[in-house]
Amino acid sequence: MYETIAFEEQGEVATLRLVRERINVKQLRELERVCDYLEDHATAKLLVLRGHSLGIDFADFDPREALDIHGFNKWEKLVARLERLSQATIALADGDCVGGGFQLMLACDLRWAVPGARFWFPEVHLGFLPGMATWRLARYVGLGHARRMVLTCEKIDGAAAVRYGLLDGTDPNLDHALATARAAFGPTHAVAITLARRLLIESSETGYEDALGNFLAAQHRAISQTAFLETLKKERGAT
Amino acid sequence: MLDARPRILSVGTANPPERYRQTEVLDRFKVDDPRIRSLFTSSHIQTRHLYMPPTGADGAPSETQGELLAKHLRGAMEIGPQAVDRCLGPAGVDVRAVDHLVCISTTGFLAPGLTAHLMKKMGFREDCSRADIVGMGCNAGLNGLNLSAAWAMANPGRYSLMVCIEICSAAYVFDGSMRTAIVNSLFGDGSAAVLLRASERDERAFAPKILGFNSHLIAPAIAAMRYDWDEEAGKFSFFLDRDIPYVVGANAEKPVKRLLDAHGLRRRHISHWLVHSGGKKVVDAIKYNVGLSDWDVRHTHSVLRDFGNLSSGSFLFSFQRLLDEGRVKRGDYGVMMTMGPGSTIETALIRW
Repeated sequence: MYETIAFEEQGEVATLRLVRERINVKQLRELERVCDYLEDHATAKLLVLRGHSLGIDFADFDPREALDIHGFNKWEKLVARLERLSQATIALADGDCVGGGFQLMLACDLRWAVPGARFWFPEVHLGFLPGMATWRLARYVGLGHARRMVLTCEKIDGAAAVRYGLLDGTDPNLDHALATARAAFGPTHAVAITLARRLLIESSETGYEDALGNFLAAQHRAISQTAFLETLKKERGAT
Repeated sequence: MLDARPRILSVGTANPPERYRQTEVLDRFKVDDPRIRSLFTSSHIQTRHLYMPPTGADGAPSETQGELLAKHLRGAMEIGPQAVDRCLGPAGVDVRAVDHLVCISTTGFLAPGLTAHLMKKMGFREDCSRADIVGMGCNAGLNGLNLSAAWAMANPGRYSLMVCIEICSAAYVFDGSMRTAIVNSLFGDGSAAVLLRASERDERAFAPKILGFNSHLIAPAIAAMRYDWDEEAGKFSFFLDRDIPYVVGANAEKPVKRLLDAHGLRRRHISHWLVHSGGKKVVDAIKYNVGLSDWDVRHTHSVLRDFGNLSSGSFLFSFQRLLDEGRVKRGDYGVMMTMGPGSTIETALIRW
């Protein structure tokens, strides 16, 4: 069914593995198909993204032709969709995450890696740009670190990534890391997760008054959901 | 087989010549209540086009209900024909070629209706059939479009014109209360016209086809938005419940889902959203309940900022801005969405 990735859904957990080490058009299309499925049909409440990625595969592109800018736009749309899925998302890196691979990881809610994994954006050294990582990375680590990491293509290791808040932790055993991350999530209420995540993503570009309006609209949606009404019943029953 | 669904061939909009900043309105009528001033200046509306009333000795506007009704017709006969000209002109269609006319207005009652006045003033053919939709509020543009599209579909090759005309400055009460201040800070005057036709001849034109409609009535909220008689003021008065954004928001997904499901579509397939500029809070509620981005509602925001809530024609101002932007591609889907008294949410699916 898929060639560049592997995807399976077991009960509440969907697992997406990056099989191909470099991102090509085919992998982009297959990732889009997975997002279609996760948005439309999945019963999973959690998506686990596993593997590593060495970034864009230039073998896929003809050096005699200019790269198509619309392809980059498609990639960014995919990352944004992944970032806003109704599932809670956990990234587990078993090796280096470079360029687009690093971006996929940044799009996930919780991020773990093996201690030896390294993370970097090589694009500026190659004469182009690391996608919307310029936008995403700066929000994670602040402009100072982001400038150095993007402009010097600095490779950071797991320990540094944890320090910057890019990783939640390192663990040589990723199954163990997954158990830790799942336990940390606890119950995953899709609506609460989607709305809280969206407000967080939008927080840095929204002034207080607008953010308050957004929050009230989102909160009204959250408290109208069965999940919250059940909580309310349970909490009231307990007192 | 001939696809009989009508296309939106053209759109035109018009507003009264005078435009006012929110603070100008407050200063003109000597409003110094800080709560009302803050309501006007924090509403995400910068300017509105209005037929401004004369002021009495105390600085307050002074118009009787009779004068307001006269202003409604006078204003309607100024901006209505302008919107029609701006719609028909670019399409190269003469008013005498129009076979069916629908007029929408909630801001004034009269008989004969605006269709008859517009036909007389603009020289429509005497056999042009017509219908007036009166009193349906901000959502009515889509109720009218539904009617206009059904007529166009039943009469292939013939022109169906719909005109929304709202003179909101002819529908106010000024009494120093917050109830009226909310209304008086929000609405603006404007008219928008759209021309429809179902014809094989338009197949090659870059004009969106209307694929379907879906409505949603929130019956328990029947009293949330009202335009009813205020005995004390001796005028009709708008009432907007403070919970409207939340009531509308909680129901917004339902008609959108039914509309898209009927065509096997998902939200991600919709490239363009044309949402009624009802007010900041109700647009926020739509954003978070339907899952739209600020980008999706950029025209909704900018129309609100520049014109205020134009009631029934508002979404067509967004439609005009979308077309002017030049980003629409053949095959793109769009959803039109209006909200108003009932409480009601109306939706339409279009495709270029």
